[in-house]
Amino acid sequence: MACHALSLFHIPSILILGVLYMAYVLIGGVIFWKLEGGLVRQDIARLLEKKNQLLNTYSCLNQEGLDALVIQDSSKVGLSLKGNQTMDSFWKFTSSAVFAATVVTTIGYGNMSPSTMAGQIFCVFFALFGIPLNMVVLNRVGKYMLKKTNHRLTRFMVHLLSYVSGVALFFVMPMMVFKQHEGWTYSQAIYYCFISLSTIGFGDYVAGMYSNPEQSYPDWYSVLMASWIFFGLAWLALVINHTIDILERVNIYLKHWWSPKEPDTESGEEIKDPPVDV
Amino acid sequence: MTINTLKREMSSGYKSWILLTGFILFYITYLMLGALVFSTIERPVEDTLKTDIKALKEEFLNQSCVNATSLDNFLERVLQANKYGISVLPNSSASSNWDLASSLFFANTLVTTVGYGHTTPLSDTGKAFSIFYALVGVPFTMLVLTACVQRLMHLVTYGPIGVCRRRMGLDPRTATAVHFAVLLLLVVLGFFVVPAVVFSQIEDTWSFLDAVYFCFISLCTIGLGDYVPGEQPSQRFRALYKISVMVYLFLGLMMMYLVLRSFHRMADLHGLTAFFQLPHCDEDAEDREPIVKAGSEDQNENDLNASAKPLDPTSKSSYNAIQR
Repeated sequence: MACHALSLFHIPSILILGVLYMAYVLIGGVIFWKLEGGLVRQDIARLLEKKNQLLNTYSCLNQEGLDALVIQDSSKVGLSLKGNQTMDSFWKFTSSAVFAATVVTTIGYGNMSPSTMAGQIFCVFFALFGIPLNMVVLNRVGKYMLKKTNHRLTRFMVHLLSYVSGVALFFVMPMMVFKQHEGWTYSQAIYYCFISLSTIGFGDYVAGMYSNPEQSYPDWYSVLMASWIFFGLAWLALVINHTIDILERVNIYLKHWWSPKEPDTESGEEIKDPPVDV
Repeated sequence: MTINTLKREMSSGYKSWILLTGFILFYITYLMLGALVFSTIERPVEDTLKTDIKALKEEFLNQSCVNATSLDNFLERVLQANKYGISVLPNSSASSNWDLASSLFFANTLVTTVGYGHTTPLSDTGKAFSIFYALVGVPFTMLVLTACVQRLMHLVTYGPIGVCRRRMGLDPRTATAVHFAVLLLLVVLGFFVVPAVVFSQIEDTWSFLDAVYFCFISLCTIGLGDYVPGEQPSQRFRALYKISVMVYLFLGLMMMYLVLRSFHRMADLHGLTAFFQLPHCDEDAEDREPIVKAGSEDQNENDLNASAKPLDPTSKSSYNAIQR
């Protein structure tokens, strides 16, 4: 019967998916290992060389004193040890707002993070309510953006239009702005845009964080950045939904092609649960 | 007839506008308040650290013959390298940040969008590859997680709720609420408390609270990166440890999605989603019937109908919750 045919075909689908996923992560790991491993060894060697050079030149320097100074946490709190320059505090209001936004959107750069226990506990509760709130808001905004475009144009045009305009608005334009104001190269800027909007958020590049001490930011900068992140995320939600839409159509098409006699009772199914008792 | 429907549409249109604006305003206020609290808590600590470091530097320069500029240059390079996880301190081991296990770990943090940032690609090739890898990997991960959760829902949610209803004769709303409370408790115990205990034992510098904080930040995919397991130079069985953390992260993410989905279902039944005009858990109104229907043969089939939604957009976090 149809059920049996379906179950035979679909029971291993989750296994296949799982295996594919593991393979994907493994392959990625190997590739990163190959790409990055060599570079790091070079960097370490160079740095050690510099350190030894310093220790040799200045004989009054002793090992412990120097090590004590190279405190790992200082870069975390954004302290500048260069000369007499004082960087603006990391935790002033605007940057705290950016931090709150990165927590709630789950980007989580990590260049700033709460170091006090109270801060950490608050962070947990803040995220507990903020993340669902963020999801709800993005959902509604995305729905609106979808509604506006759904009237006369065909589905395909909607997809195409949203892809193209979004890429221009949320990748190309910010790339220009960041190149201008952050002093990054084009590739660094695009990398940053992608890592932020996908909510991966490594934090190796963060806009508005004085990566170059000579840069000064106009006042509207942080507002612009915040709105870029917000609308970019909403747009991305739209794009992913459209992609899933397309994938579903492809899936239905493939299923029809695979078993054309199959009565397609439930349209729009993709990952089917096995139609047997679990 | 048409005027009434028009009126209804208009009023629901207004309501939807107002709701949207309300949500956005609330969201902004929430962010502002959070910013205020963070600022108040963290700023004094930061100021103290600042003055301490300055004093340390002064003391160092006074004691030694090093001049300020060469020290500054050195420090700049070192701090830059530090950001990429490279340390020149004597007790840092020879183990790389990019050996196979760590690279695997990195790839995993990339596709789950946790993104700790304790190691980041340094080369341009690495960066470009990360982008393309994530472009495919992130949706793929979501797919896998959703597929797993859809199946798990049978085992963990629909099954027990059905049992609850039939054995104890509870009405659907109470059954789902009770089930959700139990599920939440089990998940918190199993994926926060127990792992936190384990982490605080393995990691020397982490307290129990730090470990809980780490678990939460990771499982929400925020991934600040201030705590990353397996980074101690003296870590034994480092590769095995990192891989187990990877597995924990994946399973934990799955459970979070499951809890979210169960919560969504419960909110559905209690009319919360309708109240806030949020998308329902399932599109058909009849899908709520399986919990209402008493017949046991229909149970599983209707559960199937209810859950065989293609990658129900509402089930994913953060991105798609746009109802078609």
